[in-house]
Amino acid sequence: MTLIAAIRPDDWNFPLFLHLVGAMTLVGALLLVAVSLAGAGRGRSVAVVRLGFRGLLFAALPAWILMRVSAEWLASKENLDEDSPGWIDAGYMISDTTFLLLVAAIVCAGIAARRAGREESAGSGLNLAAVALLAISLVAYVVAIWAMTTKPS
Amino acid sequence: MTERPRRPVPFPPVYDWLLFLHVLAAFMVAATAVMYSAVALGASPGGSTIRVADVLWNVGGLGTLILGIWLALYVDGYEIWDGWILGAIGVWLIATGTGERARAQLAEGAQSFTALHWVRTLAVFGLLVLMVWKPGA
Repeated sequence: MTLIAAIRPDDWNFPLFLHLVGAMTLVGALLLVAVSLAGAGRGRSVAVVRLGFRGLLFAALPAWILMRVSAEWLASKENLDEDSPGWIDAGYMISDTTFLLLVAAIVCAGIAARRAGREESAGSGLNLAAVALLAISLVAYVVAIWAMTTKPS
Repeated sequence: MTERPRRPVPFPPVYDWLLFLHVLAAFMVAATAVMYSAVALGASPGGSTIRVADVLWNVGGLGTLILGIWLALYVDGYEIWDGWILGAIGVWLIATGTGERARAQLAEGAQSFTALHWVRTLAVFGLLVLMVWKPGA
């Protein structure tokens, strides 16, 4: 069974590359923080709680911005920014919603890291809240990857 | 991602699922690179994080290779002996080799872990470049 290979204009490649780098770094950073904080809940490691906050602030947030800005660039190159198909709308909806979840997770992890530094205790409910927010985001990003690759109209 | 092949196609769902799972596997590989980068930069995320990263690497690495080859065979216009596909397989082997050594060095606490990890990360970037630009395709 054969299909016809896809041809994409060359000038779409760089924004697509940036979009993928941003998205992959974002997912990697969310996984890093979610797994680390979930482990910290059991082990009560202050260093891990701080890693969670820094990972979200210095890796996940810039990665989200790179992913989102390059998505806009790509959509404008493809002339999809005015009359966008359903899969683009799904991408926007997921990225915007998960941005709010990311900000909430940063706030939770930041407060948890501050408390952990003072009390030398890291097993707060704030960590669990951050892990839950990140888990929801990760599920949403799997749906986004499905939408971006299969492009349902 | 790549453009959907022109319709009508015999079984678009097969192509769609292959591409989705191939890209998902690539995200797993990249996630491992990010998680190990935290360690290389001096963080201590804990043993469970490293174990998850290793599982993602195993599943993602195998998934990218198998599904990538499947896609190359399935899609008319791509051939398994195309330069960019052979190059990607070569870079994949480099990433896998350095990744395995980085994992072993990290377990032993050796300093050379960091260098091996960055070589692997560079290889992952190289794979992404090849997949996006597809030179010669």
